[in-house]
Amino acid sequence: MNLVFKMGEYEANFPADRKYAPNHMWALGTEGSWRFGFSAYAVRLLQDVYFLDWEVAPGMQVEQGKHIGDIESSKAESTLHAPLAGTITSINAQLLQDPSAINVDKYGEGWLFEMDASGDALLEPTAYLEHLEDVWEVTQKTIKGQFNQ
Amino acid sequence: MAKRVAVVVSQGQSHHPAKRQLEEEIVASLLGESSVDVTVIPHLYDLKPDGSAILCLQGIAQELIVLSWMFPRATRWILGRYGVLGQEGASLLDQPSDDAEDEEAEIPEPSAELQDALPRVIESIEIPKRKIYCLNLANAKEPSVFVDEIRRIVTEAQVQPLQPIDWLQGKPKPEQVKRMLDPAPGNVEHQGSGNGSVTDPQHDPANVIEETTERRWYPVIDMSRCTNCMECIDFCLFGVYGIDQADTILVEQPDNCRKGCPACSRVCPENAILFPQHKTPAIAGSGDATEAIKIDLSKLFGSPDVDAVEMAVRERDEQLLIAGRETVGDAVGIASRSASHAAGDADDLDRLIDQLDALDL
Ligand code: SF4
Ligand code: SF4
Repeated sequence: MNLVFKMGEYEANFPADRKYAPNHMWALGTEGSWRFGFSAYAVRLLQDVYFLDWEVAPGMQVEQGKHIGDIESSKAESTLHAPLAGTITSINAQLLQDPSAINVDKYGEGWLFEMDASGDALLEPTAYLEHLEDVWEVTQKTIKGQFNQ
Repeated sequence: MAKRVAVVVSQGQSHHPAKRQLEEEIVASLLGESSVDVTVIPHLYDLKPDGSAILCLQGIAQELIVLSWMFPRATRWILGRYGVLGQEGASLLDQPSDDAEDEEAEIPEPSAELQDALPRVIESIEIPKRKIYCLNLANAKEPSVFVDEIRRIVTEAQVQPLQPIDWLQGKPKPEQVKRMLDPAPGNVEHQGSGNGSVTDPQHDPANVIEETTERRWYPVIDMSRCTNCMECIDFCLFGVYGIDQADTILVEQPDNCRKGCPACSRVCPENAILFPQHKTPAIAGSGDATEAIKIDLSKLFGSPDVDAVEMAVRERDEQLLIAGRETVGDAVGIASRSASHAAGDADDLDRLIDQLDALDL
């Protein structure tokens, strides 16, 4: 089952089989070990990703919020940050060759990395949707605010 | 009347076999062309300022096509640094690929008026009429893509003086193209232009310039964007920047630059400073004005509130520490930024709005 959040005209879908981090990543796994990828909300904002690079490697310990990589699409760019504190265990090497899976199959082949971490801070899908309700306004303002600063 | 066009292939830094092969295949296909002079040089960015490759480039006065493993903007302004200047030749390879997936309307060029809100250094430079075309070898894997584009440019260079406009837009007739690409022997004009040091190309294979190079790292200024505001000279504490006799900003001591440090590119209010080897495309000179200014989603994706200047200050402190010096934080060299940045923002406004519209929020 999918949950839907409307970003303007666009309907972003969120599978209910997983958890979500407030920085718009999904998390799939068991307690203690998680695979992360971008949620439909993030992918919609980024659109066609053509560049992805990691500052971290498997085995590295990260704090929550640490700068772990960079991403760029034709319309936007962003630094990427650790959704949880823990240890990076794997990185999707496929995406480094060709990041298009992020757009084509964001909830599957387009996964980003895996971490050993406590998932206590992750949100249930419904809670993530409430979070989106809260941040949608801010998202629009943040983007538009970039030329009012 | 047939003009010869100089083609310069700048080899990859890494000696990667696949890259070498592409370079070699392009060169081999061009040797049969009668109206191009092919020169192979080591990686343009790494060349010694007084080495033979730079001298050779400075000796080329005709239309010039440079193929390198860098974004065209980086290639153009590395050449510019050495006084190898020319009008910007438009390459079809730069055009955004018309991906079927991308149904968004294309972002329109900002109007000339907005773009020229502040005078740019380029306006004070005398630029010769000849064109320079910069092609990025990373744009395609097949040599034929580049060879075809070079042929197209050669044709463009040949036809211009005859039929300025119609020919460029329409398609020249095949026999006309043939005549231009393959002039009768008596028709070839070539006296090695003045001080040109390119060897006589009569039956010459490619002119290969050997020069031992080491990897270099230094900022390259895009003078079509730079407003000579001097933010960079104030910010850099390693004595990289200076000014020339005309009080124009100059990368005076490039090799003082700290390997891997891109800090000053983040404080330049015009995004005029490039580091061609940096891994972030925007810093390496990707795309044009519209592309380089992108919506920054970092805060939405969990970045603690760090803006570009804070990041630059941190990077500079890191380099100061590595060099065994005291860190300075934001106490040095960033005071005047906010004022001039506001001015620079005026012309970014339209682009951002266009991009937002394209995002369809
Ligand atoms: S900060 Fe940028 S615009 Fe200002 S002088 Fe330096 S390169 Fe030019
Ligand atoms: S990158 Fe760093 S060291 Fe190099 S010129 Fe810029 S501020 Fe100076």
